[in-house]
Amino acid sequence: MTGFWSLWKKEMGSYFHSPIAYTTMTFFLVAMGIIFYFLTLLLTAGVPGAGVIHLIFGSPFYWMTQMVVVPLLTMRLFAEERRMGTLETLLTAPVADHTVVFAKFAGVLAFFALIWAPTLLFFAGLHLLSAEMPPLDYGVLVSAYFGVLLMGGFFLSIGIFCSISSSNQIIAAIYCFVMMLAVYMSGFTEYLTYERELIELARLISPQRHLGEFSRGIIDTRPVVMCLTGTAFFLFTSIRILDSRQWK
Amino acid sequence: MITVSHLTKKYPGRLAVNDISFHVGHREIVGFLGPNGSGKTTTMRILSGYMPATGGTAKVAGYEVHRFPMEVRKRIGYLPENCPLYPDMRVDEYLKFRASLKGVPRKRRRSRMDEVKELCGLTETGARIIGQLSKGYRQRVGLAEALIHEPETLILDEPTIGLDPNQIRQVRQLIQQLGQHHTILLSTHILSEVETTCRRVLIIKDGQIVASDVTDRLIRRMKGSARIIVEIKGDSEKINQTFSFVPSIEEINAEEIGGGWMRYTLSCPRSVDPRASLFEMAAQHRWLLRELHMEPGTLEDLFVSLTAPENVEEQKK
Repeated sequence: MTGFWSLWKKEMGSYFHSPIAYTTMTFFLVAMGIIFYFLTLLLTAGVPGAGVIHLIFGSPFYWMTQMVVVPLLTMRLFAEERRMGTLETLLTAPVADHTVVFAKFAGVLAFFALIWAPTLLFFAGLHLLSAEMPPLDYGVLVSAYFGVLLMGGFFLSIGIFCSISSSNQIIAAIYCFVMMLAVYMSGFTEYLTYERELIELARLISPQRHLGEFSRGIIDTRPVVMCLTGTAFFLFTSIRILDSRQWK
Repeated sequence: MITVSHLTKKYPGRLAVNDISFHVGHREIVGFLGPNGSGKTTTMRILSGYMPATGGTAKVAGYEVHRFPMEVRKRIGYLPENCPLYPDMRVDEYLKFRASLKGVPRKRRRSRMDEVKELCGLTETGARIIGQLSKGYRQRVGLAEALIHEPETLILDEPTIGLDPNQIRQVRQLIQQLGQHHTILLSTHILSEVETTCRRVLIIKDGQIVASDVTDRLIRRMKGSARIIVEIKGDSEKINQTFSFVPSIEEINAEEIGGGWMRYTLSCPRSVDPRASLFEMAAQHRWLLRELHMEPGTLEDLFVSLTAPENVEEQKK
């Protein structure tokens, strides 16, 4: 993996050069802030505190933000390099194709984690303000953030796959959004069919269901395995696409 | 050193490179000439390891490109067409990134960066953002990047495209200077550039090499031939016939220019001068003659005669 760290550093640096990253971060934090604000209203109205984390990570609003944030972060990764021609200089440098893909993935995952980091302040605030009875279970918090990163990795790998398949950022973003939406919608299969097997399969895929469990503090191996294999699958496919050089 | 043998590249429905072979020796500057779409960029992309060939082999610095891509990449400096760079990075930042990516040891990076910046005239430009640089400076950044890991071989795809005459001269001088220590394969379609920088020329057309020789010899060969321009009025069939009997004339091109006048372009070796006998023939047949002069050949003539598409020739006829 020669060149991994140089590429990773460059990727991280390029997020801070690009207005898209700042815009995404602002959008995300404002959206999460609004969700959190309504949540505190619920809490003051007397909803029991044990479900706070679940209310944040289990809500459809959370998924809406993810479906905007992930395509925005991943769309330029390869599509832009291809359009500018820098992919050629990158792939003729002494680094392997898989190193390029892994470094970009590691970079975007790190940035994803970075834009999530400020949301920890929400919980710190909650902890400080509710002096009588801390409504937070830290084990559940850790499990929820673990779920977010795991799911995030999976969706980011879909984004990388989409970006590598197109030379147009907007098209890459649309592909990514549609694929994420399809995965998300699998959770609603029971509204569409009575086929038991289909519903069972959809339950295994459904990301909101998995994240719902993570945010209740349940770490099930099935979603962990699904996310890791899904990530591996999309990254591997991306490497193969890069390898084929069929776009000329 | 670059050795290419029987290299072929097929794209769906099109043969881009068709069985080409050539060799670029140690510390030699070779110009790769050809019209747009003739296969220059494809050949260079194969040499750089960016895309594989369909058939044949390419060796750079003793390593076969397809089998040892990493070894080759470490030993070449490749400047792709249009010099792609990251517009939002600073020059120093970019060079540092590329140096580390190309495995320049951390201790050497600073000094290497200073060296290539000095060589490419970028000493004052380090802190500037690439996207705000002029085309000429960006080209220099591209060259500096190609040189940063001290490669023994340079593959430069149209390094002077889009530059103004002063910048072209600077880049050309730089390439000549680099040629003292590096093996260089350089593609271009600017002929004067080849005449001044390259010791040897390869001319490629439709994926095939149509000429390969030492530049001086090619130019001499062209200077050894000449064109005679004749404007004449008379029975064109008779004129054609008479001209074709002159032994020193190798090629005849006729063109009607109105008013019954014909313009003939005749090729012949420069050592013989058939102008006097042409005049005599005209006088004998009582054809009217209003122009008769000789032009020496140039590298451009050679290039055009070797690479002009056939349909254009037909249109001329």
